[in-house]
Amino acid sequence: MDAQTQPRQRLLYLHARTPSVFSEILGYTLIEPVKGFQIEISGGEFEWPYTTVHDAVVDGWQIVQFPHLQSPFSDTDLDVVGYEFILQKMEAIS
Amino acid sequence: MTDTDYLLTDVDMALFLVNGYHVVELDLPAGLNEQISEKLDGLTANPGDAITESVPELWHIVEHPQVRGAMISLLGEEYAVNSHRHWHCKLPGSGDMQWHQDGTNNRGTTIDRLLGLYYPHTITADMGPTVIVPGTQFRNAPTDRMATYTDIRGQVPLTVPAGTFAITHYDLWHGTASNRSGVKRHMIKFLFNRTSGNSAPSWNHDPEALKRERDWDARDKAKDAVNILSFGNPLGVSQSDHYKERIIRQACWQELMGFRQQEEAPRF
Repeated sequence: MDAQTQPRQRLLYLHARTPSVFSEILGYTLIEPVKGFQIEISGGEFEWPYTTVHDAVVDGWQIVQFPHLQSPFSDTDLDVVGYEFILQKMEAIS
Repeated sequence: MTDTDYLLTDVDMALFLVNGYHVVELDLPAGLNEQISEKLDGLTANPGDAITESVPELWHIVEHPQVRGAMISLLGEEYAVNSHRHWHCKLPGSGDMQWHQDGTNNRGTTIDRLLGLYYPHTITADMGPTVIVPGTQFRNAPTDRMATYTDIRGQVPLTVPAGTFAITHYDLWHGTASNRSGVKRHMIKFLFNRTSGNSAPSWNHDPEALKRERDWDARDKAKDAVNILSFGNPLGVSQSDHYKERIIRQACWQELMGFRQQEEAPRF
């Protein structure tokens, strides 16, 4: 199997409003398995490819990490935005 | 016009507590923005805090009545201009800057530190605008934990006209996009501090403003301070987070009103 056909891990970080896969996505990061790839905040309008985590699963993404809910909960404090799901697609990238 | 002519309204203040920012388009003398831009273009090194010595025209910005009016409203009449300031020159071809907060996040309910971001020239989407995330100012989220976010629903790129002064809560999440244009992008950051607590509202407060009932039909379309503070949810966060945000806003508003004890204050 050469480098062109070797499946590589595409990563997708989705931050959903709640731990439910059906809740709306608030944060989005796509990481392509390409040398030198960098993530970049949009300076203009961003086209959201999915509305929910479930939409991404329907599109073939697999969830490899569900949100951690075991951390201490404060009823007064706020921390990060949303609940983080990490998804992958194993694909050959040309 | 005096500074007091430019004090914020109850609605402005409520929107600041919800969103964590307030944008002012300064009414400046003709040519001042261009003069400042040209001087910045000509600098060969970053003078750090001494940027106001290299470009003394910046004092016209810091001391502008629209800036002073907003700062008095948010930080009290005795607010101070911090000695720290910085020229952020984003060169053509430079990459983005990921989400961060300046310094550590010591979130409290008091508004005691603000950033003032001045843009001497028009900023377009391809020039590497500052991007802010409304409503994140009350989150205890260290910058490290923002590393897996790229785009956030509700983020606001500050693509603004020349002469804009954006006031943000010190803890508001912010970053920049890449500069894909062929021009230097200038932004001068100033820091402002509260020096004493309020004993009364320092903005153009109307006591009638707090007598409005909650309007469950208006919700996020609310136009009055009570309902903006109650229902504002710029990112569309979860119910749990939204309720906590509301409690924090309540405490912040009470402090700004000068109420020393919670039970003295009307609730919204």
